[in-house]
Amino acid sequence: MTKWYMLAGKENDVAVSSKVSLARNLRDHVFTSRLTTEEKEQIAVEVENAVGESLQGKFVTTRMDSLSRYAAISLAERDLVSPEFVSAQEGRTFLMTPDESLSLMVCEEDHVKIQALLPGLELDRAFELADQMDTILDDALGFSFDPKLGYLTQCPTNIGTAMRASVVLQLPAMRILGRVRHLSNTVSRLGLVLTGAYGEGDTPVGSLYLLTNSVTLGISEEAALGNLSSLALSIIEQEREARKELMENLSFQDLLWRSYGTLKSARVMSFREFMEALSVVKVGIAAGEFDIPMNTVNELIFSMQPATLNTTAGKALDRQERDVLRAETVRELFR
Amino acid sequence: MLCQNCGRNEATTHIKRIVDGESAELHLCTSCAQHLGYVGLFTGGFGGGFSSLLSRFFPEAALPAAEEEVERCPGCGSSFEDIIRTGMMGCAECYDIFYDRLKPSLSRIHGRATHVGKTSTTEDDRSERRAEVRRLEAELKEAVSAEEYEQAAVLRDRLRELRGETK
Repeated sequence: MTKWYMLAGKENDVAVSSKVSLARNLRDHVFTSRLTTEEKEQIAVEVENAVGESLQGKFVTTRMDSLSRYAAISLAERDLVSPEFVSAQEGRTFLMTPDESLSLMVCEEDHVKIQALLPGLELDRAFELADQMDTILDDALGFSFDPKLGYLTQCPTNIGTAMRASVVLQLPAMRILGRVRHLSNTVSRLGLVLTGAYGEGDTPVGSLYLLTNSVTLGISEEAALGNLSSLALSIIEQEREARKELMENLSFQDLLWRSYGTLKSARVMSFREFMEALSVVKVGIAAGEFDIPMNTVNELIFSMQPATLNTTAGKALDRQERDVLRAETVRELFR
Repeated sequence: MLCQNCGRNEATTHIKRIVDGESAELHLCTSCAQHLGYVGLFTGGFGGGFSSLLSRFFPEAALPAAEEEVERCPGCGSSFEDIIRTGMMGCAECYDIFYDRLKPSLSRIHGRATHVGKTSTTEDDRSERRAEVRRLEAELKEAVSAEEYEQAAVLRDRLRELRGETK
């Protein structure tokens, strides 16, 4: 089955993925942190039935406590569930379409979180998918809503549209040229947030950054998405300019070919080493230096993650086995 | 526990992350969480962030001490103190009951405090009833401050009736 992250998306030389999430709560239940495990399972059944009536057979339901640890973590690595959702698996249910583009987290922070994920910069279409699902579920279940405060959520920071939209951007050139810090300041002035997508602090793994909206009350979905899209496009342009500059630079050329050498020849490769090399090589691919499709490169960001490698192998590999398998898979592609 | 980023301040925001195939938790102080962009994100750190924001608005001393004076949400039994402590509302009705006390921090987070955008498709009389409750509460406050106790008693009874219906 082809997954969403295997497909080519718009602006995918810089934009890896777009995601829209809507947080919703059922009217006739208290919020999640006050629910018992039985009540959570009851809500999961209600959601499953509501989905089933309209999209029979299109969703696969998984009780999180039936998954192995690595299978659960792999869902988080692929951005399908939050790290919070896998931190405790009991009473939690996850539904997704076979291509993984539309999914529902049941009883995470809120009763239901509807999520749409697409490759590249596709916020409007992702919203459309999530919005349709929301209307179907709302008709069947009835969501907590207040005309003044909008959709009511467990945490008051999310009320209003209760929508989070985000774009994952890979910005190796801007990071190397030290331009990301300046960018973060601009972004926060516009009511958006830029953080590392993987890893912690100022040096995110593989130069992957997450650009997200932060205000949900007093701004419509369309306006929030519009702001986010136009800022993402402007950052994409800045990254392209920075890449052009770097391609003229001898020490970057050296780094580029060394990184390519790593991907082509390494026998043992950690996820971090792989991601660093890949983000640099991506600059060369975008410049036409290497003939590898961009969507293949973006797919590796998901498929080469530690727990996802275990899931593909169907067993819990130790760290070295994973690093060997990763090196083998990547070597095949960059031969 | 000290902040993992600066190593100086007490960590108040705890963010769940996936690192190298395992669940991990990142502990940050309020200022590093803000600097690194973790405040206001959907998952992780929200609870901590909001509860510390609320606590700044409502220091411990400002909270009612005696148990019998504590107002509780009829929907879920939460007190306002519970909400401050956890940073989470107990149920949708908490927004009605504690609206006035929440408003300053809501405005601080969101800037403007009125919803614009999609409306629930099954918006029924329940939300009208909520609006009615809010209106009556405002009238009740006015009646009490104007010392019109008879009027206040009538309003209180109507409020009780309405809240009894909205479970």
